[in-house]
Amino acid sequence: MSTREITLKVLRYRPEVDSKPFFQTYEKVPCEEEWVVLDALNYIKDEIDRTLSFRWSCHMFVCGSCGMVINGEPKLSCKAFLRDYGKKITVEPLANFPIERDLVVVIDDFVEKLLSVKPWVIPKVKKSLDDGAYNQTPAQLKSFKQYSMCINCLLCYSACPQYGLDNSFVGPASLALAHRYNMDSRDVGRKAREDVVASAEGIWECSFVGACSQVCPKDVDPAGAIQQIKITSAIDYVMSMVPGGK
Amino acid sequence: MSRNPYVRKMSKTTWFLTHGRYRSYILHELSSFFVAIYTGILIMGLLRLGSGPEEWAGWLEGVTSPAGIVFHLLAFAFAIIHTVSWFKVVPQAMRIQRGEDFVPGQLLVRAHYGVLAGVSVVVLILAGIA
Repeated sequence: MSTREITLKVLRYRPEVDSKPFFQTYEKVPCEEEWVVLDALNYIKDEIDRTLSFRWSCHMFVCGSCGMVINGEPKLSCKAFLRDYGKKITVEPLANFPIERDLVVVIDDFVEKLLSVKPWVIPKVKKSLDDGAYNQTPAQLKSFKQYSMCINCLLCYSACPQYGLDNSFVGPASLALAHRYNMDSRDVGRKAREDVVASAEGIWECSFVGACSQVCPKDVDPAGAIQQIKITSAIDYVMSMVPGGK
Repeated sequence: MSRNPYVRKMSKTTWFLTHGRYRSYILHELSSFFVAIYTGILIMGLLRLGSGPEEWAGWLEGVTSPAGIVFHLLAFAFAIIHTVSWFKVVPQAMRIQRGEDFVPGQLLVRAHYGVLAGVSVVVLILAGIA
């Protein structure tokens, strides 16, 4: 049984017929008390307008597929409870990415950048399965665990003006994940990542607006990760100037 | 069906007006401008001091004029914004791990304010004010 009705203003773009995006208003959408914005969108898709497109999968803040801009704020639509909003809600696709269709954006650029930072453990010596696991203490795990919580939802890219103004910037999530592997005691890949991470398009493009960390639904703090890499990179630079330094 | 992705461009001149957090960022960046101008005036004062009593008196007249006082009040307000906004983000850049735990961020922020207060007292004593 519905508890109230809301109005959803959704930015639509149908590439085969539209020359540019436009807002479509869905009025009197019935919603339950415990619904999130994603539930309302699914109601519209099932009952009102089958042509509306959006991505989603898990409905529990894990898959990172349903990122959208809700009332001007990048959010996971499965984590945006309708009860926290008024009767009128505006939903747009993530900013700073091309719109494929309606609320679906093209994320190829992010995937390319993520791969460029080699987001995997590069061990000093490769072990076979028979040699057993790479051991790690709880303290070593804790040093990078926060950065491993990233779900690639791209809310940080949507909030980042640096990426919006110049998308050659590697971007928050990719750099946070680079930091996650750099900090991992099992990894020796920092030098291998340096060309991308410590470049002008990498950490030095970031001016610490901090928006990425403010919108991150997993408290990863990409802005903090980037500043920490800057410190390490600056120390590397100074050491390289010192005779006998690394 | 052919693809035709639509690109929405961010305005290069007005982006910082579009959200509260961007406006705070610009204010924080703008504060550097006032701190830099203040530093320039201070360095100029030192140079004038080395040039002789007349030059020094001229500089002193400039900074104590109504315009000089207004600028210094403005610079002081922006210096406070600069300090508060930078100290607030210290825990993000400075992550100190002891064993399994991290040093609490608020402790690091308070330590920065402590050092600021200590240095300020020393400067005031050296200036003969405190």
